[in-house]
Amino acid sequence: MNDGSAESPILRARAVNKTVPTAEGDLCILDDVDFQAVAGESVAVVGASGSGKTTLLGILAGLDLPTTGDVWLDGDEITALSEEQRARVRGRCIGFVFQTFQLIESLSALENVMLPSELRGDASARDDASEFLARVGLAERVTHYPRELSGGEQQRVAIARAFASRPKVLFADEPTGNLDTATGARVIDLLFDLNVESGATLVLVTHDAALADRCNRVVTLEAGRVAS
Amino acid sequence: MTPRLVLRLAVRDWRAGELRLLLAAVVVAVGTVTAIGLFVDRLREALLSESTTFLGADRVIGSSRPIPEGFRDAARRLGLAQTDVVTFPSMLFGDESPDARSQLVSVKAVGDGYPLRGVLRVAEEPFGPAAVTRAVPVPGEVWLDSRLFPALGLALGDTVALGYARLRIARVLAGEPDRGGSMFDLGPRLLMHVDDVPATRVIQPGSRVGYRLLLAGDDGGLAELRAAVEPDLAPNYRWRGIADANPTIGDALDRAESFLLLGGLLAVLLAGVAVALGAHRYARRHYDHVGVLKTLGATPADVQWGYLGILSAVGGAGVVTGLLLGGLVHLGIVAALSAYLPASLPWPSPRPLALGAVTGFVCLLAFALPPLLALRGVSPMRVIRRDVHAGAASQALTYGAAALGGLGLLVWYSGDVFLTLWALVGGVGVCGAFAVVALALLRGGRVVGMQAGSAWRLALAGLQRRYRENVAQITIFGIAIMLLLILLLIRTALLDEWRSQLPEDAPNHFVMNVADNEVEAVQALLATHTDYDGHLFPMIRGRVTSVNGEPAESWAETHRRGPEGPRLRSERNLTWSDTLPDNNVLVEGGWWPEGTDAALLSLEDEYAARFGLGVGDELAFDIGGLPVTARVANTRRVEWDSLQPNFFIIFSGGALGDFATTHMTSFHLDAEHKPFLNRLLSDHPTITVIEVDEIIRQVRSIVGRVTQAIELVLGLVLGAGALVLVASIQASHEARLKEHALVRALGGTMRLIAGALTAEFAVLGAFAGVVAVIGAEITVTVLRSQVFELGYELHPWLWLAGPAIGAVLIAAIGYLGTRKLVESPPVLVLREL
Repeated sequence: MNDGSAESPILRARAVNKTVPTAEGDLCILDDVDFQAVAGESVAVVGASGSGKTTLLGILAGLDLPTTGDVWLDGDEITALSEEQRARVRGRCIGFVFQTFQLIESLSALENVMLPSELRGDASARDDASEFLARVGLAERVTHYPRELSGGEQQRVAIARAFASRPKVLFADEPTGNLDTATGARVIDLLFDLNVESGATLVLVTHDAALADRCNRVVTLEAGRVAS
Repeated sequence: MTPRLVLRLAVRDWRAGELRLLLAAVVVAVGTVTAIGLFVDRLREALLSESTTFLGADRVIGSSRPIPEGFRDAARRLGLAQTDVVTFPSMLFGDESPDARSQLVSVKAVGDGYPLRGVLRVAEEPFGPAAVTRAVPVPGEVWLDSRLFPALGLALGDTVALGYARLRIARVLAGEPDRGGSMFDLGPRLLMHVDDVPATRVIQPGSRVGYRLLLAGDDGGLAELRAAVEPDLAPNYRWRGIADANPTIGDALDRAESFLLLGGLLAVLLAGVAVALGAHRYARRHYDHVGVLKTLGATPADVQWGYLGILSAVGGAGVVTGLLLGGLVHLGIVAALSAYLPASLPWPSPRPLALGAVTGFVCLLAFALPPLLALRGVSPMRVIRRDVHAGAASQALTYGAAALGGLGLLVWYSGDVFLTLWALVGGVGVCGAFAVVALALLRGGRVVGMQAGSAWRLALAGLQRRYRENVAQITIFGIAIMLLLILLLIRTALLDEWRSQLPEDAPNHFVMNVADNEVEAVQALLATHTDYDGHLFPMIRGRVTSVNGEPAESWAETHRRGPEGPRLRSERNLTWSDTLPDNNVLVEGGWWPEGTDAALLSLEDEYAARFGLGVGDELAFDIGGLPVTARVANTRRVEWDSLQPNFFIIFSGGALGDFATTHMTSFHLDAEHKPFLNRLLSDHPTITVIEVDEIIRQVRSIVGRVTQAIELVLGLVLGAGALVLVASIQASHEARLKEHALVRALGGTMRLIAGALTAEFAVLGAFAGVVAVIGAEITVTVLRSQVFELGYELHPWLWLAGPAIGAVLIAAIGYLGTRKLVESPPVLVLREL
């Protein structure tokens, strides 16, 4: 098991704070959070509802900015970058799997998986997408639209899309939250298998203790602070 | 994003049905504007060319001197059609015997090809039914007005003497296209060939002769000719177009054009609203889409250029389809109305097509761009936290762009800043006011809703819950309904105005030269055979010689405004009266007391203004060689369109009462009673009857055409309005359906849901109707007074009809638009949304 300190981290956050203004004054969501992960490591972020897990994931992935503190991803200080530059970093080295799948309804399974490569301008987008769909067991469903697929199938398309961009870091936000236990387990197996195969770093947000245990390391958030 | 990816995304969006509403809105916007534009353009050309029949040509060069050969050569070089007309008064003798009866006639000598526009009408017997002819009198022939036959005791085939020439009467002249104008100066008409003029030897130095060169051809050629001859025109030659030929027709055309423009403006606005609704719906449905794209590495610039690309693709496809659709629709209209339209409509100019294309792109840029550009700002956090603000377009940007784009289009389309600014000020004010009224109505509806049955309660609760969206929707519905009501009201106002100006029994004959001793007998005859009302105006000819002691010529030189219009020193018809004529209105000063001995004058206000004359000025006249002096007591406005006897100058009885005069009046006579004129003129050969029924017939025909055009435009704008309603309902029906699917899942029946949806739309429609009526009344009042120069009028029926129309229309469209989904199982609806 990696302890996250021996190698130089691919993802590092230092003294991250996030406050949002509310009618009752500023609300602190993340309070002086430090975080890091090395290449190939899998880290689970756990905590109760409202503990700041999703906010931390957003900041680590460059989807959002902290109020103070900084984040490095693959050598770039993404908190010092513009949204335009952060988007390029995301396109280059990040993959996502969401609780609500976040497939684009108007695109077929194949087109959804092709999208990240197309955005990067890869010529092999179609072949890569077909290959990954085959690897998640959906070779026969490439022309189906999300509404024609079951929840488990939709999440498998999302996983194929995440790995098709060959990410260095994969962020997964409650990937089984919308699935029944059996389907969830199958999806998680697939996720971990592909992760090991690709050598990507996995940052997994979950409140499922069993799922968290499958990761190399668990970070627990309590009221916006790292408890472990 | 590469263009290829943008195109691929656009194609995928199209396949998924995401772009259909937006594309449909652009197609209808472009199609409506193009169809109206093409049709109006062609109809306007046709109306104009029909109106040119009042000139007998497209343009006329007129003078009291012969037309220089240079003008003719220039016209010939430019390929314009041309022909000559020479007019002069002369005595016409029935035969060569010394005691033959004679009559002063107004001779018109015409060349081959006359008239270049319009037609001559001839009859087989005096006052008989008229038929169109393409011929003109051949040399040696004359055609005479009906009234000359009884006056001179003539029959077809007889020979008459005009100066030294002997000419055979070949036909009865019943109508000429270019007869209008100063009808009181006309004697009965004699039409002859221009080649016979020298033989009459009537034209001598100092004769009162009018020379006209009639011209016809394309606008470019005519404009070129005008530019070529312009330096040689002043001061002896006048260039005339349709506006100079007949002010009544000019006014009718101007108003029709204002109306058609207004129709076009409304179509543009409605199309813009439809595009805006389509774009907002598209953008709303793409917030998550963009969030996902951004997590996958799409930069804000990628998003911006990507959606601009998609918008351009939609714009391109929409404009091309819209132009085709507009062309087809306009052909359909032309085909459907072929029976009422001129036989050959001129080809349209390319302007309507350009107008349609530019309208499509400007609509997209102004109405659709802001919500789509706002997608650039959608936070990628939205994919993991739904409560993150979607980054909708700023309201200032959205409304600012729409206002700017709308204004630009309107100004370009109308070319009339005043009309446009009013439309815009009205639009902004109306939106604000509508929103306030809509909010008040919704709040009131909630109180009522508490007492209502379940479907109504559900409906009113729904309306209350989404009050922001509903205020916006009531405003949009309200504006669409208001625009339709405005068109309807303006159309009614215009038609009423025209009908009241030219009622069926408007006078269509004038009697002049009635001597004092004939007054009673003529009055008795007229009273028996016509609707004559018993009023005769005394009439005498005279000219102004000086103003405040200054000779009229030098006064006119220093005070005259503009080169056109009547001249101060011309001899004109004068009358006197103790009372202000019925259709005249005092502008300045007071009317004189009945039976006054003072020598006073009343001047027509525009005539007074033209020569800088006002109350208190003293004018000296030469009347039959005798000097008369009178002081201006008042000025008055005259309805020249009324076809009643009208005068620039009216004296008090004290000034002219002692002069021997003739009298005149006007009366209405139906076509089938026209032979009565034979009897009138046989009994009183020295009186003059002038028939204006032909002119009235022409005016009516034009007014009829214009009315049809207006009704058509109304229909097209109605279609655009319906599309806005459909787009608006579609834009909001997802939220409604989701709610109602939940209610159904909880056990609500389909009937309850259908009832609640219908009730909700009906209430929305009725509220929109209320705000629409308020807006329509205000706007129409402004338009009536500022644009159409009509009076103020309230429309009580509208206050019932507006909400009722709104309720029925919106409920029907809403029900039809949502029926299919109401009938599908709730689980499908919930999954779809």
